[in-house]
Amino acid sequence: MCRECGCADRVPFGVKVLSVIAPKLLRSAAKPEAEPRTVEIHTSLLAKNEDAADRNRKDFRERGMLVLNLISSPGSGKTTLLSRTVAELGEKCAVVVGDLETDNDARRIHRPGVPVAQITTGTACHLDAEMVARGMESMDLDGVRVMFIENVGNLVCPAEFDLGEEIRVVLLSVTEGEDKPLKYPPIFKSADVVVLTKMDAAEALGFDRDEAVRNIRAIAPQAELIELSSRSGDGLEAWYELLRRRLPAGES
Amino acid sequence: MQDSTMHEVGIMESAMSLVEQHAAAGAGRRVGRVVVRIGALAGVDNQALRFAFDVVSKGTLAEGADFEIEDVPVTAYCLGCEREFEGAGGDFVFACPDCGDFSGEVRRGREMELSRIELI
Repeated sequence: MCRECGCADRVPFGVKVLSVIAPKLLRSAAKPEAEPRTVEIHTSLLAKNEDAADRNRKDFRERGMLVLNLISSPGSGKTTLLSRTVAELGEKCAVVVGDLETDNDARRIHRPGVPVAQITTGTACHLDAEMVARGMESMDLDGVRVMFIENVGNLVCPAEFDLGEEIRVVLLSVTEGEDKPLKYPPIFKSADVVVLTKMDAAEALGFDRDEAVRNIRAIAPQAELIELSSRSGDGLEAWYELLRRRLPAGES
Repeated sequence: MQDSTMHEVGIMESAMSLVEQHAAAGAGRRVGRVVVRIGALAGVDNQALRFAFDVVSKGTLAEGADFEIEDVPVTAYCLGCEREFEGAGGDFVFACPDCGDFSGEVRRGREMELSRIELI
């Protein structure tokens, strides 16, 4: 094909076609699939965890156990609330505790008749469904009606990791400020229940309860809201009532 | 809003294991492009995810590939008006444009998926 003199115009049609096709044919014969190829995948990046969470969910149902995933910042009162709950609820409880290091929290909750498993996640900033399943292997869950999973103190990463729980509880203590729900929307959006803790200290800290509630209602209108103090005991009855109400039907 | 990049690295590791599976099925061809879809509510920081891609793809068939993030905006649903609406704005307060009620029902915007790869 000569562009200089226009001779291509005089080349018979078949030859012209061949001259265009032949190099392509040669290329593809030499290197099969040389053209870029798009592979559609559309798989959740959390598919592995989602499968494990589904297995957990099925397992929890078969055991007739209500399972809650408790998520909060470090130090917002998960362990204190659980220590009282397992003692006062009047239903057999179990607790799975996730922490980066140490088993201090598990020891604080431990009491006779309450199976507790500690999962030390090392560097992982959240629990995943498989860790929970492994943690449960060491526990005698016979007769347990309520199992609490105390997640690693973190308001970011646990949001995306379904553990198979029935109820996701996000705790917020009055020491953390009223605007926390606005700062961590994904976790509050995913909450079934929001618990405001340490309410006995609210006044001393100048905590604006109404503003906090407004923020929670705006970000997480789907969530049930409970205000309590694990120290004074105020509001605990509403928490216990919620747990009893959500117990799977069956023997009690 | 991110406290650490650890989270994104873990997510990228599962993405890369999927990428490598599919690249291996493509007779070990190199990966020129990786496309992910990330919802606004997925709790993933795009910049951290890009960084994680560079780190995790090193030494794999996807090293040096273009990494593309498709952002998925939030779609919420108003139970009262029975309508979907886009959750605009960065404050994540989703108020129905018709009745003004806050919606906690998120229909889309939590996505975190590997959409496709391009083999070269």
